[in-house]
Amino acid sequence: MQTFLNLLEVEPIRLLISFGAVLFLVLNLAAVLTMAERKVSGYIHLRYGPNRVGPRGLLQPAADVFKLFTKENVSPGRSDLWVFLGAPIAMFIPAALVWLVVPFAPDAVVADLNVAILFFVAITSIGALGVVMAGYGSRSAFSLLGALRGAAQMISYEVPLILSLLGVVMLTGSLSLVDVVQAQGDTIWTWYFLPQLPMFITFYIAGLAEVKRVPFDLPEGESEIVGGFMVEYSGMTWALIQAAEFASMAVISAVTVTLFVGGWQPPLPFLDLGPFNWVWFGIKTALIMFTFQWIRWSVPRLRMDQLMDLGWKVLVPVTLIWLFVTAGAMLVF
Amino acid sequence: MLGEERRAEHEGALTEPPSSRLVSPDIRDEFGLETIDMSMGPQHPAMHGLLRLILELDGETVVRCDPVMGYLHRCQEKIAENRMYPAVIPLTDRLDYFANMHNEHGYCLAVEDLLDVEIPPRAEYIRVLMCELMRLASHIPSIGFLMLELGAFTPILYAFRERERIQSIFEAVTGARMMFHYIRIGGVKADLPPDIPQKIWDYIESLEAHFQRDFVDLIQGNEIFISRTRNVGKMTQEQAVEMGVTGPALRCTGVDFDIRLDYPYSVYPELQFEVITDTAGDVEASYRVRIAECLQSISIIKQCLEQMPEGEVMGDTGRRIRPDEGEGFGRVESPRGEYAVHVVSDGSDTPYRVHYRDPSFCNMQLLQEIVPGHYLPDIMPIMGLVDPVSGGWDK
Repeated sequence: MQTFLNLLEVEPIRLLISFGAVLFLVLNLAAVLTMAERKVSGYIHLRYGPNRVGPRGLLQPAADVFKLFTKENVSPGRSDLWVFLGAPIAMFIPAALVWLVVPFAPDAVVADLNVAILFFVAITSIGALGVVMAGYGSRSAFSLLGALRGAAQMISYEVPLILSLLGVVMLTGSLSLVDVVQAQGDTIWTWYFLPQLPMFITFYIAGLAEVKRVPFDLPEGESEIVGGFMVEYSGMTWALIQAAEFASMAVISAVTVTLFVGGWQPPLPFLDLGPFNWVWFGIKTALIMFTFQWIRWSVPRLRMDQLMDLGWKVLVPVTLIWLFVTAGAMLVF
Repeated sequence: MLGEERRAEHEGALTEPPSSRLVSPDIRDEFGLETIDMSMGPQHPAMHGLLRLILELDGETVVRCDPVMGYLHRCQEKIAENRMYPAVIPLTDRLDYFANMHNEHGYCLAVEDLLDVEIPPRAEYIRVLMCELMRLASHIPSIGFLMLELGAFTPILYAFRERERIQSIFEAVTGARMMFHYIRIGGVKADLPPDIPQKIWDYIESLEAHFQRDFVDLIQGNEIFISRTRNVGKMTQEQAVEMGVTGPALRCTGVDFDIRLDYPYSVYPELQFEVITDTAGDVEASYRVRIAECLQSISIIKQCLEQMPEGEVMGDTGRRIRPDEGEGFGRVESPRGEYAVHVVSDGSDTPYRVHYRDPSFCNMQLLQEIVPGHYLPDIMPIMGLVDPVSGGWDK
């Protein structure tokens, strides 16, 4: 037993096991999130949502997964098969990889990289690749339009996303996410979302666009291009795309919490739960994800030109100005 | 984020006509630019049933838009020629399935024009009452559809909640939720059940109480809704009149054409209501017109309930309806515009010819005219402006 526990401390093994655990968490999270999404939408629409499978419908995700597993995987006749089948994987891997650097609690992080923020930025930008592959591989006009929209959107919103991170990096002086959380302290008014409020809002909006949620779900656009880049997918490939979407939504929420809302830190010192501080991290992430769903069921979708306007003419200038203000404030104080 | 100033800037950017976004064919040839052909529909969630649009796209800009109809064609006019006069009424229910009462009413008016039968006043009031409830049950979902096509899912469910409640009233009155066969030649099938006037009154009161909250406050001020609908699908009065557009799509350009007032039928002259018009002629204006028309319908329903006389509900048409040789014409204001029926009789008990002028079909011409130059996602709000119904354009 002792040798086994010691073995867990050996670096590659610990990394693999803990990443496996996180991956397991992510896959389950995607299932829980589909359920949450449907329940939240149900309550917003004044209806019940799924309530037939299991107690209060809680087994619905299991039933969905079972259905998707047994479905035939159809690919269009003229599709580029390797690209078509590779796309869901290319979408899922980046969404899962970011979890490597997200700190759940002071010492509960798979890899405490000293360039974690750079890692996050680099990995999220790969996500666009999967969308382009899916649209190109499907050989359909609808998919192609979705993929082009997706590529344009994700690359454009990368810019405000990265710029809005920089304020936090400047304040902390470190690219490690653990350092960022520790620098925020255990009181709600020292967290970065207050001094960096414009950056926080920008990061939130750009994150929303990065994970293609309403009102920025143009690549999917189910009422105009009927699912966009994923219109030709079925069965498990479709499920993998959905899992990637939900995982990236969760990861953006988690990173938002880590950067701006104090990570695992309790809102007030006397609420410190010691080893159970990951509960705070969970609560905050769940709250951010809830706001994503709330927005989804409340507003219509933007159009491509309006989306670009918002990104380049509003968000980028706001972040640049606030970077300047932050730098000035750091110089003065 | 988008303040009043920015909205003005937005409008400025959009006041140039959408056709200015089109690249001229010469330039396209010179630089070897290609367009994509895309077939949207008939299986498409935003095509209001079974419409197919053949689109030519230059990036996201639509260069050409050809509507293709006929995927729901059921030979309604030919079938009607082989049926006795009263047996055509259930067929008209299947035309525009969001305005069944208006279809029945229009057909009955045309046959009554041939027959010269006197309709009891109570039957006339019941007809108007039902038609106005039908208008509510059509306008409210069409607002929901517009939002659904813009990507907001919630309003459609609120809209269908209202439609379900109205359908329950219809079920109590006529026995069916959609295919009523209620308005008959010479009157209506049966009198209202004794508790129904109170039920309708209660429902209308409750609708009035939350109409503002659910369909105006939720939608009208939303920045994204405004930016997606303002100056989208913009047309001039001349364009709309030339193309024979009627209904809210015409009235949102500022033409106050409404069959209920301009060619009064039934008891509309005895009721107080206004024709709603707007000047903008875009999707947002058509939304405002529909909202205001809902409020007018509510007021008409209240007046009907207050003024409804007692008495018979069926005029004397004889055992067998066999009009003299001649032509009959009936037109009503359906939720989508002018619905007219032309019946030709050869003296037998089946019509020689029945023709329906359905607003969905006539308004559809707008698409070809105003869509080019818009972006692909703008087609959906424009469909919401035209608001065609599959059963209406394919007869």
